[in-house]
Amino acid sequence: MIPVTVVTGFLGSGKTTLLSRVLIDPSMKNTAVLVNEFGEVGLDHHLLRRVDERTVLIGSGCVCCTTREDLAGALLEILGMDERADIPTLDRVVIETTGLADPAPILYTIFTDPVLQHHFFVDLVVSTVDAVNGNLHLDRNPESLKQVAAADKIVVTKTDIAEPDSVMSLISRLDAINPSAPFIESAFGEVDVEDLIRRDGTAARAVARTDAWRAGERHEMGETHSVSVTFDGAINWTAFGIWLSMLLNARGEDVLRVKGFLDVGEPGPVVLNGVQHIIHPPEHLQNWPDEDRRSRIVFITRGIRSEDLVESLEAFGGLLGARPLPLVAEHSLSFP
Amino acid sequence: MCVLCGKDFVAQVHWTDRHVEDRARASGPGTDPVEYQRDRRRDRIHRAALTNEVLRHYGLKLEDWNGSKYLLRDRKGRSELVQDLGSLWPVAARLAGRMPDPLDPALQESLTSAGEW
Repeated sequence: MIPVTVVTGFLGSGKTTLLSRVLIDPSMKNTAVLVNEFGEVGLDHHLLRRVDERTVLIGSGCVCCTTREDLAGALLEILGMDERADIPTLDRVVIETTGLADPAPILYTIFTDPVLQHHFFVDLVVSTVDAVNGNLHLDRNPESLKQVAAADKIVVTKTDIAEPDSVMSLISRLDAINPSAPFIESAFGEVDVEDLIRRDGTAARAVARTDAWRAGERHEMGETHSVSVTFDGAINWTAFGIWLSMLLNARGEDVLRVKGFLDVGEPGPVVLNGVQHIIHPPEHLQNWPDEDRRSRIVFITRGIRSEDLVESLEAFGGLLGARPLPLVAEHSLSFP
Repeated sequence: MCVLCGKDFVAQVHWTDRHVEDRARASGPGTDPVEYQRDRRRDRIHRAALTNEVLRHYGLKLEDWNGSKYLLRDRKGRSELVQDLGSLWPVAARLAGRMPDPLDPALQESLTSAGEW
């Protein structure tokens, strides 16, 4: 399986600058890059493809359940080259989205395409947020909010030209929207590539910043709410699947993000990661990544109050086999 | 899959079925296929039973159908086959005439009171 990294971020937030720095790194040599547009910052890379955004809305589909045909075609082409050994063995594919793109259809395309789903997996969604204009984008553009909610890691760019105060206020706002994503500050597009790409690094980083992280407080950013929940025991995975599939069917577009570890009474947790209707294939791990063996899930919603989600889980408690506990500050936890 | 049932070809495994699929892959040659089938059937019956706790509120009932699909019935005798939990809820909404929603206070009320006696 070839890992796919999705780089998203609002117009002018520094996606291409970041990529151009990251791609120079020797470890990124065998990386194919798909971009939507050739911007002013020239990307110099031997495996660069341009894709035109062609979205196909499937019957009765919502916006997130759309197939990006352009992307499917480009990925199949890359796969073909890889398998014919026309190119050195591929380590990774990086997809740079347009500034206005919703990342959900990209995930949907990779998870549902009959061929792609067996050859690619999305290992990371990186969102860039501009330290100078980030607050403005979040105020005015719902796309920007979705990109932050969908992120596994957030890169705050242009910290060299922003006031330190505004960087701090932006970070605390981003933290309130998406408490599960660690931050990486980047000036002039400089970033530790290892840090950015490493997948298992996310949990460790989240632990490192728990001091600054007000876990479990119910964050309300306008219409966006986020809540972290644990359970007082192992939960029934089948029952959780019933609850979540039902919720996503009824309110999928308002559930911007679900992410966490679930204790299902097995030796290791189930890793859950979903963006709107689209749930990554859940992984049943053999072992817990750290000492803490409690379930921990973050929900980021739009228009659904955190209390309502917790009450619903409570009502399903009989089926789940455990009661939900909203996390409070002393229970800082790390997320996958 | 045979040519006759080709239209039911399942290209996409729903995420709630993923652990079953993973187990099928892990249980390669040399493992006991009967045991896997037994586990799988037990999973499906367990899932139908749990789902019925919720569906009862909407006057619907789900049962395993030949170990390959689920049969959803309402009290008027209408029935439909569904593949998985992903396709269950839209069909349930059609048969029940309203969208099953875990945030619905009436459903929560009925689940809580069912648990009490």
